[in-house]
Amino acid sequence: MSKTKRVGFKLDMTPMVDVAFLLLTFFMLTTQFKPTSVAEIVLPESHSKFKLPDSDVMTVTVDKEGRVYLGLDSQNLRARVFGKENMLKAGMEVDIKDLGKLMRQARLSNFKLRTVIKGDKEADYKVIQDVMDVLQKENITRFNLVTNEERP
Amino acid sequence: MAYVNVSQSRGKQKHGKKKKTKRVGVRIDMTPMVDVAFLLLTFFILTTTMSKPETMEINLPPSNDVSVPVAESNLLTLRITPEFKIFWNIGIEKPELVTGDNKKARLVSLGKMLKEKNAANSKLITLIKIDGKAKYIDMVDIMDELNLNNINRFSLVPMEDKDRQLIEKL
Repeated sequence: MSKTKRVGFKLDMTPMVDVAFLLLTFFMLTTQFKPTSVAEIVLPESHSKFKLPDSDVMTVTVDKEGRVYLGLDSQNLRARVFGKENMLKAGMEVDIKDLGKLMRQARLSNFKLRTVIKGDKEADYKVIQDVMDVLQKENITRFNLVTNEERP
Repeated sequence: MAYVNVSQSRGKQKHGKKKKTKRVGVRIDMTPMVDVAFLLLTFFILTTTMSKPETMEINLPPSNDVSVPVAESNLLTLRITPEFKIFWNIGIEKPELVTGDNKKARLVSLGKMLKEKNAANSKLITLIKIDGKAKYIDMVDIMDELNLNNINRFSLVPMEDKDRQLIEKL
C-alpha cells in the first residue's frame, strides 16, 4: 500500500507564449518611431491642439545656443537641396544668410511644403526673429511653431 | 538543453541492411527563444509609450509688408522685456505695467486686459514688440495667451531702441 506521492507537475506554457507573441506582433505593427531630430530641443508648451502634419514639412530647428538647422522630411528633396552625401541626415546646420536661398530651392521642388519652426524654449528670441524675417522675405506668410501640449 | 533522442528500432534485419528504421525524436528547449520574444515585447511596450504628442501652435500669418494706416485709438501695443515685464498702451498713451508677481500671473492679467479691450473695441489691432534678449518661450506664451482669448488681429514687430528708452523712463 505504498502510495507513490508524486510531487512535481509539468506546466505547459504554450498559451502564455502564444499571448506573448500576439502582444509582440501588435506592438511591432503599431509602433511609430519618432522622426530623427537633428539637435536636442526642449519644446515650449502651448494650449494648441493642432497636430503636426507628417508629410511635406520643412523644419527650421533652433537650438538653445542659437544654431539654426534646416530639415526636410523627404529624402529625395534632401538629396536635391543638400547634396547626395547629406541625404541621410535629418537636418543640416545653416547660416541665416543661406537659409533663404535653401528654403527657396526646397520650395521650388515641392510647392506644397509647409514651414515649421521648432525652437528650444531657452533660445534667444532674437534668432527666432531673424528666422521669421527670412521667412517674410521669402514670402512665406503662413508657418507653425512646434510645441508640446500644455497640461493644465 | 536540446538533445536528440535517437531510437533506432532494431528491427528484423532479415533483409540485409535495406530496412533501416531510424526514428529520430528531437526535443528542443524553447527557453532562449521565449526569452528573446519577451525582451522584444518589453522593448516595444516601452518605446511606444514614450512618444509625446507634438502639437503645433495655430498658423501665424505675418503679412507685415502691407502698411495699412491704423488709427491710434485702434492700436494696442505690447512691449515685452527680457525679464518678462509687459507694458501696454493704446495709441500714444503712456505704457502701463501688467500686474502680476510671476510670469503666470502676468499672463493671466494680460489675458483679462486683452479680452476687455477687444470687447470694447472690435477693430482693435494688437502690436507685439518683444525684446531680442527675451526667450523664445516668452513669445510662445504670449502667442498662446492671444490664441486663448481669440485674438486674431495682431502683428509681431522688432523692438527698437526707442521702445527700450521709453520703457526705461517708467
